[in-house]
Amino acid sequence: MSILPATTVDFFLAGLEAFMRRSGQGTHWGVTVLRLEGKPDAQTLTQGWEEIHAQHPMLGARLKRQWLGWRWVWETRGPIKAPAICWHPAQALPPDEAVIHERLLGRSSVGALTSPLWMEVFPWGADGGHVILLTWRHALLDGTGVNLLLEKLATGACGAGPPVPAMPRRESMARVYKRAKPLTDRLHEMTSKGCLSAWMKGMPMGGGPEYRLIELSAEESAKATARLRTLCGDFMQMPFYAAVAARALRLLHEQRGWKSPEIHLHLPIQLRGRSRELIFGNHMGAMPLFLEAGALGSLDLAVAHVLEKYRESMREGRQQASEALTTLAAHLPLGAFIPVVRWTNMGQICSLFHSHTGSFLPGRAEFAGAAVQNICTIPSVCAPPGLGIFVSDFAGQMTVTLAWREGCVTPAEITAMERQIRTDLTGIADP
Amino acid sequence: MPEVPISPAAVIELLTAEHILEPQEPLTPESDLFSMGLDSMAMMQLLLQIEERFRLTINPAEMTRERFATASALAGFLGEKRRLAA
Repeated sequence: MSILPATTVDFFLAGLEAFMRRSGQGTHWGVTVLRLEGKPDAQTLTQGWEEIHAQHPMLGARLKRQWLGWRWVWETRGPIKAPAICWHPAQALPPDEAVIHERLLGRSSVGALTSPLWMEVFPWGADGGHVILLTWRHALLDGTGVNLLLEKLATGACGAGPPVPAMPRRESMARVYKRAKPLTDRLHEMTSKGCLSAWMKGMPMGGGPEYRLIELSAEESAKATARLRTLCGDFMQMPFYAAVAARALRLLHEQRGWKSPEIHLHLPIQLRGRSRELIFGNHMGAMPLFLEAGALGSLDLAVAHVLEKYRESMREGRQQASEALTTLAAHLPLGAFIPVVRWTNMGQICSLFHSHTGSFLPGRAEFAGAAVQNICTIPSVCAPPGLGIFVSDFAGQMTVTLAWREGCVTPAEITAMERQIRTDLTGIADP
Repeated sequence: MPEVPISPAAVIELLTAEHILEPQEPLTPESDLFSMGLDSMAMMQLLLQIEERFRLTINPAEMTRERFATASALAGFLGEKRRLAA
């Protein structure tokens, strides 16, 4: 048995999962969909799959509290056996939404998923098309981890395995509290203003996970990239996509006649200095941004506003404050964490889950020997906030995933948000 | 307060002293900053430090790959920006 360090985001996600289970929202799963033009090489896939399981004991780890120091760690019992890759019989069509819904609930066609990582291959159609579904437990793997995992599985050669991460240094609670204080004050200020998500008290929580994919064509993606560069240069992708997502939520609030003066985004920010060989466990810290809904009137204004708030957050050290606040919260029992957040935040957690996970398989056109058409990820989201907007791309082709909880957003509202997102990204008004 | 001179060495000093980059090997004026870990988060830190130290405001749309590729290229861009602002 060995012990590996846990980050504060590991605690946050485990707390979120505990909340989901207790409120009848299942477990926190994500599905990555790979659409291939041909048949992937079974030997390459199996070799990579087995090596990943042999090299990463994190796949069998559980988060537990260490008595000495009262901190959260991952406890592992050595490598776990890789579950067999499930090759389905050929069918006329690719796997439909019902299959993905089932995986987002942690189930396969034969019962509950018994491993945190599950791979299935679906041959379909007369042209040799294949779809790979990779289902993963979000408490162990995040968007960056999925990218790293796909890079390993693409060739079947998984390298030497992960290094042993160092335990974080200890700090006095007084210093941690001092660092967290400006953020707690800001959160209280936001709460007193009233800050809504797609969910409000009285709305259902236990609905199933739903999703819609907005897949931009190559031409639309090129337009979106050009627009991004004009507004944000070659590097600042986050403010662009965050502005698009925040504007979609603002539209939802406007259509419902809800007043939410601020929109609270909890943006994932890549942790510095983390080895790319550490696939499992979370790679992100959190950067809280408090956007004024009134400053999101057009995309140009919204991007400028997000950039200004991003600068403000960096100047005030909000990422470090968020880390410190979660370090303090990690003294709570796991099941109490999200209820406490909601109790101090008028029932909410944040306004929206949003991330931009970047490019899948950068520089590669093939996965296990088969040409890739597109890759996207569909995470389940809990209510509150009831809605998540996630952006990724493969070979320059952008995909936006809208994920929500049944009962929190209607199909008509999703369609209205999709229209605005397409217009914001491409600059082409929807007819 | 006198203006801080802009040079490749001053840019390298800013990148390392403010822990924007923590390279394994010493930075040179021609080192590829992206391979040394200059990501979007580091870029925002760099923007703030440029504002503070060199008193220059950079619009994100001005942030192109060529201008930020090396300390030398960045110093050239900042020097030109200061000259135009004078």
